[in-house]
Amino acid sequence: MIKGDTWLTPTLARRGLLLTPAARRRQWLVRHVGQGSLLLVTSLSTLAVLFIFYFIIRDAWPFVQLRGIREFFTSTHWYPSAAGAEFGAASILFGSAVVTFGAILVAVPLGVAAAVCLSDVLPFSLRQGVKPVIEILAAIPSVAYGFFALVVFAPLLQEKGGQLLAVASWLIGAPVLALAIIVLSDLATTRMTDARRRAGRWGLAMGLAVPALYGLWALSRGLDGLQINSGTNALNVAIILGIMALPTVVSVSEDALQAVGRELREGSYALGATRAETLVKIVIPAARSGITAAIILGVMRALGETMVVWMASGNAAQIPTPWFNVLEPVRTLTATIAGDMGEADQVTGSARYHVLFFMALCLLVFSFLCNGISQRFIRKAKRISES
Amino acid sequence: MRIGTRKILDRSFTALGGFSIGLMILALILILVPMFIRGGGALGFRGTIEHRRLLLEKFERGNRPAIEAEIRRFEERRAPIYRQIAEFEAELTRGDSARRRQYAPALRDLKKNLGILLGPAPGAPRPMLARDQFGQTRWDRAVIKLDRVLIRESWDYSDPTRGGVRVRVPRAREFEGTPVAGIFPFLENHLAEILQPRPTFYWGFLTDESFDSHFFGGIWAELLGTFYLTAGAMLFALPMGIMAAIYLTEYATDGPVIRLITTSITTLAGVPSIVFGLFGLAFFINTLHLSSAKSVLAGSLTLALMILPTVIRSAEEAIRAVPRTFKEAALSLGAGRWQTVTGVILPAALPGILTGAIISMGRAAGETAPIIFTAAVSIGKPLTLFQTLTQPTPALSWNIYNLATEHEAMDEIRHVQFGMVLALVSLVLILNIAAIIVRARISKKLKG
Repeated sequence: MIKGDTWLTPTLARRGLLLTPAARRRQWLVRHVGQGSLLLVTSLSTLAVLFIFYFIIRDAWPFVQLRGIREFFTSTHWYPSAAGAEFGAASILFGSAVVTFGAILVAVPLGVAAAVCLSDVLPFSLRQGVKPVIEILAAIPSVAYGFFALVVFAPLLQEKGGQLLAVASWLIGAPVLALAIIVLSDLATTRMTDARRRAGRWGLAMGLAVPALYGLWALSRGLDGLQINSGTNALNVAIILGIMALPTVVSVSEDALQAVGRELREGSYALGATRAETLVKIVIPAARSGITAAIILGVMRALGETMVVWMASGNAAQIPTPWFNVLEPVRTLTATIAGDMGEADQVTGSARYHVLFFMALCLLVFSFLCNGISQRFIRKAKRISES
Repeated sequence: MRIGTRKILDRSFTALGGFSIGLMILALILILVPMFIRGGGALGFRGTIEHRRLLLEKFERGNRPAIEAEIRRFEERRAPIYRQIAEFEAELTRGDSARRRQYAPALRDLKKNLGILLGPAPGAPRPMLARDQFGQTRWDRAVIKLDRVLIRESWDYSDPTRGGVRVRVPRAREFEGTPVAGIFPFLENHLAEILQPRPTFYWGFLTDESFDSHFFGGIWAELLGTFYLTAGAMLFALPMGIMAAIYLTEYATDGPVIRLITTSITTLAGVPSIVFGLFGLAFFINTLHLSSAKSVLAGSLTLALMILPTVIRSAEEAIRAVPRTFKEAALSLGAGRWQTVTGVILPAALPGILTGAIISMGRAAGETAPIIFTAAVSIGKPLTLFQTLTQPTPALSWNIYNLATEHEAMDEIRHVQFGMVLALVSLVLILNIAAIIVRARISKKLKG
C-alpha cells in the first residue's frame, strides 16, 4: 500500500460500503416517512368513504328527528314545499325501482347474450372491433344520453310510440314464438313412432302457429293504437338506462365467462353438446357468480344515474295506475335530490333540506350493500376459476 | 330432441348474441348521428344578413363596407312591406272606429311576428334585449318564423270533449281586401332575397362568449369551465391515484388495513354521482368553507374524489402488467426500492397509467351530478385562472341540461344545445379514442 493513496485506507473502505450510524438513521427515517406518507395518501379513499357516510348521515339525521321515517317509506304524499309539508316518498322509491328494473330487463338479456357472443362465438379480430364500441357506449356522458332521451327519443315515442312498440313486439315475439313452437312440437312428438312423428310434428306446429300469430297480431294491433300522452316516461328512461348499463353488464360478465376454463367447454363438446347447450348448461352456470355480480353492478349504474332520469322521466311523484303502466311519468330519488336542492338550499335546517340527504343516505346504503354483495360474488368467481 | 331442432336452437342462440351486439352498435350510431348532424348545424349553417350584422356589431368581425352594402340592400328590399303596413295604419286612423277595432289586434300581432323575422322595423327605437335587436340569423329558423308570419295559429277550445284543437288561419285571408294582404305573397317569394342567406361556417361558436342567455354567440365560457373542472380534478386525482397504486402494488402486504383500503376503493367507485355532489356541498362548501358558495375548486375536488377509484385501479393494473423481470433486474443492479419504482417500473407503466388517466378525464369532463351543487352556474363569464378558487363557472355538461330543460325559449336554441352536446361528446370521444390507440400500441409492444 502506497502512502498518500488515501482512498484505499481501511476506514474509508469500510465507510464507503457501510453507512455511518447517522446516515443509516437518516435512511431508515426517509424510508419509513416515505412509506408512511404513501400509506396516508392511499388511505385517503377510506377516509373519503368514511367522510361521505359521516356527512350524509349528519345531514340526514335531523330529518329522522323532525319527521320520523314511517311517513317517508309508507306515504305517497310528496308535498315538500306546501305549508303543511308532507314527505311521503313511497312513490319516488317506486319510481326508482321501476326504472331500475326496466333498465335491467333491457340490459341483462342483451348484455349476457352479447358477452357470450364476445367470449365464445366471435373470432378474435371481430371481438377487437366490438370492444371500442362498448367502451365508447360507456364513455358517452350521462347528460348526452339524457339530452338524447329528451330531445330525440321522447318526441319520437310520443308521436310514433305505438307503431314502434308494435314493430318491436313483432321483432321480439315472432322469433321467440317460432322457436317455442318448434321445440314444443318436437318434445310432444318424441313418444310417437317414426312413421307418424313427422306428420305429427308438422300438424302440431301448424296448430300452434295459428293462435300464436293471432295473439301476436292482436297484441301489435293493441300497441299500434296506443295513445302516449308524454314521451318523457318510465319506458323512455328504462330503455336509455338499459343502454347505459349494457357496457358494465357486458364487460363484467364477459370476464366471468372467460374465466371459465377450456376444460369444461371441451368436455361438454366431447360429449356431443352443441355450442348453445354447452354455453347455457355448462359455461353460464359455471360463471354464475360473475354474471350475478355483473347484474348487481348494472343495477347500481341504473339506480345511481341522475341526469337521464331527471331530464326524461317526467318527474311526476306518482305511482302510475295501474302500477305497471310504464307509459306514465315517474320520479326517482336521484332526480328529486338534483331537482329540489336548488330550492331547498335556501331553507337549510328545514325538513325539506334534510329529507334530500335522507334520500342520499338511502341510495348510499343500498349501493354500499350492492357493492358488498357483488364483491363477494366476484371473489367467489375468482376462487372457482382458480380451483 | 331431434338433432335438427338442436341445430336450430344452436343457430338462434348464436343469432341472439349477434343480434344484441348489432343492437349495441345500432344504439351507438342512433345516438351519435343526430348529435353530429344537428350539432354540426351550430357551426355550419346558412347564415342570413342578420348573422353578419350581429358579428359586425357585437364582435367587430367581418368586412365592414361589404356588410354595410348588404344591410342597405336588405333595408331596400324589405321597405315595401313596411310601406304597405304604414299605409294601412294611416287608413285605419282615418277610417271608422269599428274597422280599427277589427284590424288593430291582428295588425299588432303581425308586426310582432315580422319583428321576430326581420328585426326591428325601420325607424323603430332600438330594443333592450339582443334577441329583439336582430331578426333571424339562421335561414332554417327564418323559414319557421316565416310560417308564423304567414299563418296565425290559435287554439280552439269550443269543443270541451276534445280539449284544445289547433287552428291555422292564413293571415292573407285575415287581411283580405286591405293593402297589407299584398305583403304575404311578397314575403313568401322574396324572403331569400331580403335575408340573403349564405353558407356560413361560424367557428366563433367555440371561441365566442354567449350573450342574451345563449340566444347568440358561442360556448367559450362553458368550454373553459369544463376545461378548468377537468384539469382541476386531474390535478388532485392523478398524483394521489398513482401514489396509492404504487403503495398498493409495491409496498403493501396483505392484511386487514390493506383489505379495508381496497374495499373502500370499490365502495367509493360505487357511490352514486349525485351523492358525491351532496357530499361536496356538505363538506367542501358548508364545512370547510373552501369558498363562500359554489366554486371551481370545490367542484374539482368533488370530481377528483369521484374519479379517484378509476385512476387507482387503472394505475394498479398498469403497474402489475410490468414484467417482474424489470423489477428484478433493477433490484439486482443495486437500486433501492424507491429507485426501482421511479426509475424502472413507473416509466414502463406510464402508457398504461396514461390510458386510465385519459379515460377518467373523459368521465370527469362529462359528469354533471357532482357539479350541480358545487361548481356549476347557468350563465357566467369565462374565468381567469385565479378566479377558479372562488368563482363558480358555467360548464358544458350542466349547461346542456340547463338549456334543454330550464331555458325560457328552449325550442329557439336547439342548435346551441346540440352544438354543446357535440362539443362535449367529441371531447370525450377524442379522449377515449386516444386511450384506445395508446393501449393498442402498448399491447403491440408487449407482444412484439
